[in-house]
Amino acid sequence: MRKEKNGVSAEEVLDETDRKNNRYHFDRHTPEYRHQFEDITQEMQARCPIAWSDAYGGHWVAAGNREVFELARSAEYLSNDHDVNHERRGYQGITIPPPTNVQIQGGFLEMDPPEQRHYRQLLNPYLSPAAVARWVPVVDEVVRACLDEKIETGRIDFVDDLANVVPAVLTLATMGIPLKNWIIYCEPVHAAVYTPPESPDMPRVRQRQIEMFRDMFAQLAEIRATPRPGLIDALARATINGKTPPDMELLGVMALIIGGGFDTTTALTAHALEWLAGHPDQRERLSRERDTLLNSATEEFLRFYTPAPGDGRTISADCEIAGTRFKEGERLWLSWAMANRDPSVFPSPNQIDLARTGNRHHSFGLGIHRCIGSNVARMVFKRMVIAVLDRMPDYRCDPDAAVHYETIGVIQGMQHLPATFTPGPRLGDGLDRTIETMQRLCDEQRLGEPVTVRKAPADIGGPDGSATEG
Amino acid sequence: MKVRVDPERCQGHTLCSMIAPKMFELDDIDGHSSPVSEEVPADQESGVAEAVRSCPEQAISIS
Repeated sequence: MRKEKNGVSAEEVLDETDRKNNRYHFDRHTPEYRHQFEDITQEMQARCPIAWSDAYGGHWVAAGNREVFELARSAEYLSNDHDVNHERRGYQGITIPPPTNVQIQGGFLEMDPPEQRHYRQLLNPYLSPAAVARWVPVVDEVVRACLDEKIETGRIDFVDDLANVVPAVLTLATMGIPLKNWIIYCEPVHAAVYTPPESPDMPRVRQRQIEMFRDMFAQLAEIRATPRPGLIDALARATINGKTPPDMELLGVMALIIGGGFDTTTALTAHALEWLAGHPDQRERLSRERDTLLNSATEEFLRFYTPAPGDGRTISADCEIAGTRFKEGERLWLSWAMANRDPSVFPSPNQIDLARTGNRHHSFGLGIHRCIGSNVARMVFKRMVIAVLDRMPDYRCDPDAAVHYETIGVIQGMQHLPATFTPGPRLGDGLDRTIETMQRLCDEQRLGEPVTVRKAPADIGGPDGSATEG
Repeated sequence: MKVRVDPERCQGHTLCSMIAPKMFELDDIDGHSSPVSEEVPADQESGVAEAVRSCPEQAISIS
């Protein structure tokens, strides 16, 4: 079609109207989207499984399972690129709208192949199922210590006292960051997600984020000077597509690992524990039948609560996918959360069925960008839930005191989940001592090595936590 | 029954090996799946069929 000198032709206007005739005002950053999630999902899937929304300068939204599946796997027409330095086509990464406060590329999640593939190949040996299994004894110790801190009191906040702590400590351990620094990282990572931009608390959160980035930068420099094993060591030595990446790019990768490793697993664990508190018969069943039910229950919580509810993309070439014509440069939101509630794939999609079969949910994304930490997330979630079921089997949550994130545009998370339970005895050291012990094991046994170097699981030794020799 | 995992489609979601651990092995380095054998023993058929239904990438096929 020929362009008129001063704008678009009549044919182009008609074509635009035709392409975008499935319109739906979709704004996932509003509280209404959270409150009316099931109704909106149903309506979009029935009427416009791919819709054009006028929000945030206009973008496509994929809500149907088949549509999300086809789009997410069309890597040749989609770009994740976040071109922060305006060196390529100016694409804006996976966030819609793009962040205004910081312009940093979100690691390899905001890259396309081949660079994206090089990073994943570099980091996979630290995060594969075999690599992650080596950390189970360490995770169990940190979980035990978290519960020991509260077990005698009969009161716990499952977010503050457990689900915030364990993913943070393990993520730092895999990176090679001192475990005690989890305090520097934990609050700003979560608060940056749940604090609204206009909140009076935001300047303080920003300040804490700056402190966190300062520590990340210091860790990178320190590990480069005095190597110790872990994901940062791999990054510090990396050659990506024949080049040594600039430090800002590496910081973006570190921020991705931290952002991906913390809030998502917290969100999943808190929601699952809250649901189980409301369904004590199912909780008892899960505990009793854990050998056969824990895997399917984990996948079902992942499907239902979809901690990371979607990702943005940019259309990188004109194309037609799933019956819709897209144009280069247009933005697209892939809603994993809505795709996970599509009745054509999941019977009774708004019900939790701990034994659900055929559960091919999209909670870790699809295609080449599948969550690289999915094995970490599952393992940590399972260890936390099982420990709670064993040590606090009668816990009760106070529904009025649970705090959910006000919006689910970024993470479907929880800020607090206080609970009470019948007190029990402590089993070992408290959290600080345990973290010291685990740090010693990380250092002595070089637990941060990739699975290609170290295959054996962490040896935490006897019941007193002292590692055995050898 | 014969089973195949398309290595181009598999992204290492690992559901198949959770569902039928005797039939699918995961690569140590990237967690991508491959069948232990092309032939599926009779006692593994239902597990493999469930793995096919559960694969997020629809990377597993049976014939």
